[in-house]
Amino acid sequence: MKKESALTDKAISNAVKLLRKSKKVEQVSLTNISNQLSVPLEELHAYFSNVEDIFLKAQKKDWEKTHRILDKKIRQSKTPGDFMGILDSFFEQMVTDLSQDADLRYEMSMYLPACHKYREKNKKRLEKKLKKVIQKGWPGKSTKVLERQSALIILIFYGFLDHIVHIDKPDRKKILRDFSNMVSLHLQDRKFF
Amino acid sequence: MKNQTKLKLRIIKKTMLALEKNQQVHKVSLIDVAAELNIKPEDIYQYFQDIEEVILNEQIYINKKIENYLTKGLKISKVPDDYKQLLEGCLDLYIEILPDYANAALAASYYLPECLEERKRAKNFYMGFLRQAIRKGWPGKVKNVVDRQAELVLITIYGLYEAVSDKNISERKKITADVKNMINLHLQDRLFF
Repeated sequence: MKKESALTDKAISNAVKLLRKSKKVEQVSLTNISNQLSVPLEELHAYFSNVEDIFLKAQKKDWEKTHRILDKKIRQSKTPGDFMGILDSFFEQMVTDLSQDADLRYEMSMYLPACHKYREKNKKRLEKKLKKVIQKGWPGKSTKVLERQSALIILIFYGFLDHIVHIDKPDRKKILRDFSNMVSLHLQDRKFF
Repeated sequence: MKNQTKLKLRIIKKTMLALEKNQQVHKVSLIDVAAELNIKPEDIYQYFQDIEEVILNEQIYINKKIENYLTKGLKISKVPDDYKQLLEGCLDLYIEILPDYANAALAASYYLPECLEERKRAKNFYMGFLRQAIRKGWPGKVKNVVDRQAELVLITIYGLYEAVSDKNISERKKITADVKNMINLHLQDRLFF
């Protein structure tokens, strides 16, 4: 498992490097990557069926880590204040963990079919968790309001991700505070129009 | 509508539907599109050299339509309410002109470097528009607040694009109504923390 994880890290960083050079994902192959990494092609094939699979495994690895942290925080939270804090720390963690090459990884998650499918599935999984956080952190909302507000938080969160992966790392943190404040203002509206 | 324009639109639609079905740009060819339309490949080549050009054309078409609407709107807007209406009208137009295959167009736009460049260009245009609309529509904000709020509204709009791209028009309208309210609430905050 550790070996697979380490190889995924190496393979994804190399795939991104090659992608940045060639511009098209079809021009990146497991053969190129094995040459660059000096890893036998057979070894790569043991873990990845193709380049899309490298992007998918890297995407899953990142999100599984995020979900583990989110789940732990949800389990430990007791008061509305604790739950409110989860949202802020979730956004902060996302921004901190994004790599310098997050732009290309993000773009591939939008384009490659398997990655896109995982992305959509993960979005639903995340929405479910955030709904729980909102319900406990900002109590008193009706089910309908809760659902609409959760959907909006997911909508702006993905807009936020799309935006920050395309700006420099130091600038990402600058906008984080404003984004968190906007979310907070939105959730303070108990009746939501 | 001229016959040439009609044909061009048919080519775009058929290509985008093929893209939606095959999911990846390199799996779609103009020769197949021509066969599906019962026309000669040369009839397509007079307008588009390859699939990538079709996708870029589609993206530019939508962007220009919105940009023209906003440019004209800015010229005739006088009072704050005009600017507010313009921002809301732009969102309505946006979801109205997004084609059924918007999901495929969005995914492909992350694949092509030219589309990413066009996206960047359009984003800059929208940012300029938002700064102006916020300054005039919600007067009394200092420049720093206008800039920060414009960036957050831009993030929201791009989040909206992704959220509605795979929805039908009635669902798009519902989501957009909530987004409009959220943007309004956000912009009513004059001092912005």
